[in-house]
Amino acid sequence: MRAVCEEAVAAALAGGASYADARGVVRRSQLIATKNRRVDQVDDVESEGIGVRVLVGGAWGFACDRRLDQTGARDAAERATSFAKAAPGTHERALAPVEPVQGAYRTQREQDPIDVPLGDKIALCLAAEEAMQNAAVKVTTAFVRAMRERKVLVSSEGTVVDQDFVECGGGIEATAADGEISQLRSYPSIHGGSSAGAGWEYVLTLGLEREAPRVAEQAAALLRAPICPAATTTVVLDSDQMALQVHESTGHPTELDRVYGTEAAYAGTSFLGPDDLGSLRYGSELMNITADPTTPGGLGTFGYDDEGVPAVRTAIVEAGVLCGFLTSRETAAKLGSGGGGSMRADGWSRMPLVRMTNLHLEPGEGTLDDLFADVDDGVYFETNKSWSIDDKRLNFQFGTQVAWEIKQGKRGRMLRDATYTGVTPVFWGSLDAVGGPETWALYGLTNCGKGQPGQHAHVSHGAAPARFRNVQVGVAPS
Amino acid sequence: MKGALELAERAVAAAEGDGVEAVVQAERSGFARFAGSEVHQPTLIENVSLFLRVIRGNRVGTAAGNRVDDEGLRALALRAGEAADAAPEDPDLATLAEASQLPEIEGNDDETAALGPAEQAQLAAAAIEAAGDMPVYGFFTSGTATVAVVTSAGFAGEQTSTDTMALALAATDRVSGYAEQTAWAVRDMDPAAVARQAVELAGRTSNADELAPGSYRAVLGPYAVGEILQYFAFDAFSGLALLEERSYLGGKLGERHFDEKVSIADDALDPRGLPKQFDFEGVPKERVPLVENGVLRGAVWDSVSAARAGDSQRSTGHAAPPALRRWGPLPFALSVAGGEAESVDELIELVGDGIYITRVHYLGVIEPRHGILTGMTRDGTFRIRDGKIAEPLVNLRFTIAVPDMLTEVPGLTRETTLANEAAFYDERFAYGALVPALATARFDVTGNGGPPGI
Repeated sequence: MRAVCEEAVAAALAGGASYADARGVVRRSQLIATKNRRVDQVDDVESEGIGVRVLVGGAWGFACDRRLDQTGARDAAERATSFAKAAPGTHERALAPVEPVQGAYRTQREQDPIDVPLGDKIALCLAAEEAMQNAAVKVTTAFVRAMRERKVLVSSEGTVVDQDFVECGGGIEATAADGEISQLRSYPSIHGGSSAGAGWEYVLTLGLEREAPRVAEQAAALLRAPICPAATTTVVLDSDQMALQVHESTGHPTELDRVYGTEAAYAGTSFLGPDDLGSLRYGSELMNITADPTTPGGLGTFGYDDEGVPAVRTAIVEAGVLCGFLTSRETAAKLGSGGGGSMRADGWSRMPLVRMTNLHLEPGEGTLDDLFADVDDGVYFETNKSWSIDDKRLNFQFGTQVAWEIKQGKRGRMLRDATYTGVTPVFWGSLDAVGGPETWALYGLTNCGKGQPGQHAHVSHGAAPARFRNVQVGVAPS
Repeated sequence: MKGALELAERAVAAAEGDGVEAVVQAERSGFARFAGSEVHQPTLIENVSLFLRVIRGNRVGTAAGNRVDDEGLRALALRAGEAADAAPEDPDLATLAEASQLPEIEGNDDETAALGPAEQAQLAAAAIEAAGDMPVYGFFTSGTATVAVVTSAGFAGEQTSTDTMALALAATDRVSGYAEQTAWAVRDMDPAAVARQAVELAGRTSNADELAPGSYRAVLGPYAVGEILQYFAFDAFSGLALLEERSYLGGKLGERHFDEKVSIADDALDPRGLPKQFDFEGVPKERVPLVENGVLRGAVWDSVSAARAGDSQRSTGHAAPPALRRWGPLPFALSVAGGEAESVDELIELVGDGIYITRVHYLGVIEPRHGILTGMTRDGTFRIRDGKIAEPLVNLRFTIAVPDMLTEVPGLTRETTLANEAAFYDERFAYGALVPALATARFDVTGNGGPPGI
């Protein structure tokens, strides 16, 4: 694959490119899902190809080809350079300097998840479903996924990187319905459960069958639970919901391409400006956010990003103050700070974009009960269900599958259809407690969308439960 | 792509089973994406992907890949067969599509198929130049997508579709306006006009006011109508969702729940949309009435959900692309009947006092059974006073039950617009909703966001 990528880079340079990189990718992914104790999906997808990115006269060009051979490489390079040459106007682009590297990376694993027989995967799902049987539950679903990807990057600056990734994950869902309402409960998260950059041993640690009865019982109980009343109150978010809160309200707004507006036409921009670096108060002093592509088990863990920049842990928010962005070499050069390291592409057929890697809320101290202890009257939100946030990542509304009253420092009765809303820096400014390391958990999600044409990114977030004061819960009375 | 049908036939021949279905998706496309009036993310894609479904007894297995040589096909067939062997028996096994009379459709244009990088860049440049001094963000894209389906039960079909889209967000840090255009023939496209429309709209959005949360009468432009209905429809009009009791239609079929001016169909045959001849199982497309004069009429089905429904339910030709098949049948060609209003201004006059919404952003479904969703308005939200557009508004958070929004509809425009609902993930599959602008007596605003602009 290295020779094919080198052929593409050489062809691009011969075609007039001042810079070129080529990524050869071979990916195999599986998704096994069962629903109502039948196999719903057994997907086993292989995809391979090459993506070539070039700079010609300061203009980018990108083209891809499924033929992972010399012909495909040359054709992709020629098309990429021709597209760059056709770009209207004049262009000037600088890339932050990076030392060319020759390196390799391999995800740590005990058992390659692709090698686990399909029959074993199906059996695991069916066993988890069996444990979710409940009269009020109309639909049960269990799923596991596995992925193996080899990716080789060659650049015209001399970088050659060969990386070998595996991922896997799983989850269960129960939907209860009574003809009038339906209620969803899932574990360990929503939409695909949770995944990790790890071997099959990760799926086994999830304990899907073990958690199944609780998930089903809670789905059924939600049918009888009262709707969460609207109020301005104290909220405690579980680590799963915190992971999404971090993703949406700190991850996306700190992507520097959004700050510079290049995502404006689709995913949106950011309320942050380049000049906010080092000065903007993002939240309370308890807020510490780090981007860490070296986190063991993360979906955003790699040796090198898709520009060949080595993985480095970076502080994004320290003691509530913005101190870093997620960058590419181009945006870092424009900012005059940093050296990239967050460029990732979805497979071989998409151009790399600034993406989250593993973005974490660093833990504080105490247990979940400690977070409840200081609350006379509040709501505890558990497991995300719905999410919506504006194009600048300011105004958000999230809903969770289940919520609980907090009364006099203790968890009380179950509530359904709970939502909370806020404005990003105001909300983070009201953070007054973060759970300790023992409550901190890593979640991996595979459905982060961005770019035109669209790309999915796999990212992880570590988070502990956290408490926020004076939050609008539900829809405020008009 | 030439040879897609032959490739699907080779894939079927390579597989061993009691039944085999092969789906080939071939794509040749170009995206000239621009930001700040400069092309920054130009993407050319060439790909062929193969999806194989193998039935052995009552067991089903699938596999997909993009290696099309004989060795690649053999490996694909082997993986699909292994998946079938590993699967438990399915008591409601769906049958494979048989040979059928396919409808005549439009939707394939040679001129559009011939567009290359230079032409795609030129059409993006036309939008950029037309925006003048106003920075513009968006893209021009065109592509050709071929779908071939072959089954061992006798179906063999190939359809090639072209599609183009121009999208423009004209914006500074204080103003923003949006417009888009979609067609299957480039002769019907005018990226410059799209950009000018966005610029004109942006020019009216400075100094936006906040709005007190509450229930308002509203006029929704076609982009807003299209996106809200598409989100609602994924659950409400899906046969699988009906079976799983998460559809709004559950227990209400045959009853009138919407304003009698509201009629919605799924119609992939309409040449004004992005026509399709058959679905991803090889079942011919047909027009499916979903709502007629406010009466809830039905849902869409694929062969798998139809088999599970029993009661002689048949597929309506709504099997999703392989990458989305797990979500069940999906209505990808929504068509809302136009009304009697000759213009959006006439709807604004009907509403009298309320709000105008150009487009919405980042919808989230809170509760599918009642069609409750939330989102933000964006790039052109205005107050309506005395039957006219008044001051611009900040981006508004709304939380609505879509059925409530459709209960009282003072009017719809006669003219409909093709609102593009595809975000071009995975293999290219262009789809959109044919929708008019719509006036509603109830649209619930639940908060204020930031001002227009980026």
